[in-house]
Amino acid sequence: MKALKILLILLLLGGASAATVMYSGIVNVAADEPHSDIVYWLLEETREASIKKSAQHIKVPDLESPELLLMGGADYEYMCSSCHLKPGLEESDMSIGLYPQPPNLSISHETHQHGTDEELARQNFWVIKHGIKASGMPAWGKTHSDERIWAMVAFIKRLPTLTPEQYQVLTAID
Amino acid sequence: MKTNFIKTVGKIALILVPAITLSMNASAHDPKMHAKKAEKADCSKMDHSKMDMKDPVAVAMMKKCMKQSKSSMEKMDHSKMKEMDHSKMKGMDHSKMKGMDHSKMEKKENKKANSDDHQNH
Repeated sequence: MKALKILLILLLLGGASAATVMYSGIVNVAADEPHSDIVYWLLEETREASIKKSAQHIKVPDLESPELLLMGGADYEYMCSSCHLKPGLEESDMSIGLYPQPPNLSISHETHQHGTDEELARQNFWVIKHGIKASGMPAWGKTHSDERIWAMVAFIKRLPTLTPEQYQVLTAID
Repeated sequence: MKTNFIKTVGKIALILVPAITLSMNASAHDPKMHAKKAEKADCSKMDHSKMDMKDPVAVAMMKKCMKQSKSSMEKMDHSKMKEMDHSKMKGMDHSKMKGMDHSKMEKKENKKANSDDHQNH
């Protein structure tokens, strides 16, 4: 009974402390002020684990079709390139201003990536479709079909290998 | 009383109008980046000899460029081309065309004359 009382008091104290921090306004939410290393690590690990778990059962279609590259290229140019950049564009207002900084998808991230191509493809599909809370990444699945999202995944897979000239042709309008 | 009110409103308008106009012109560091234009594929830099036709990227590029050239051909209004009077072109004064190397054109002129008769349309 005594232990229960202590637990209840601790819970109340924890809640009161959290409310004080929340409503005092001492937490800086400015995007130009980075998180501390520990907070950044906590958020990043939480995000990665969530994406991995949510995407694990997604079936990946054949992503080698040239038609997918053409469909995904046009969408990438208009929906993604301003944040995730493109061959020949190393930074933009969005890539500089957003926090967390959106990954540059035009360069290879082999050293940071874990998992197979297939795992990466299903995770990219999930992120494009559902977006990521409080990160600036929208849920494109609300307005785009799965087919179009897979086309973007196929294009993103080849993006680091493209020259600016190849990118221009693949992403141009018909 | 009424004139004072009108004067005050006038002063506020004098400050607000330029301020709003200036703020609407505020732009990011490179305004060109925000003016997205729908660009056509630039197929002129494609080097077909270096292209691996097993590579989906190369195949996709070829498809895009072929589709673009096909659609630009379709957009040409051939009906209006009938109005071209080729008979008058025979009177072209080649001597006035500076820089033309006629020695290189001799062999081609016969071929060009045949292709000008609109049989291909």
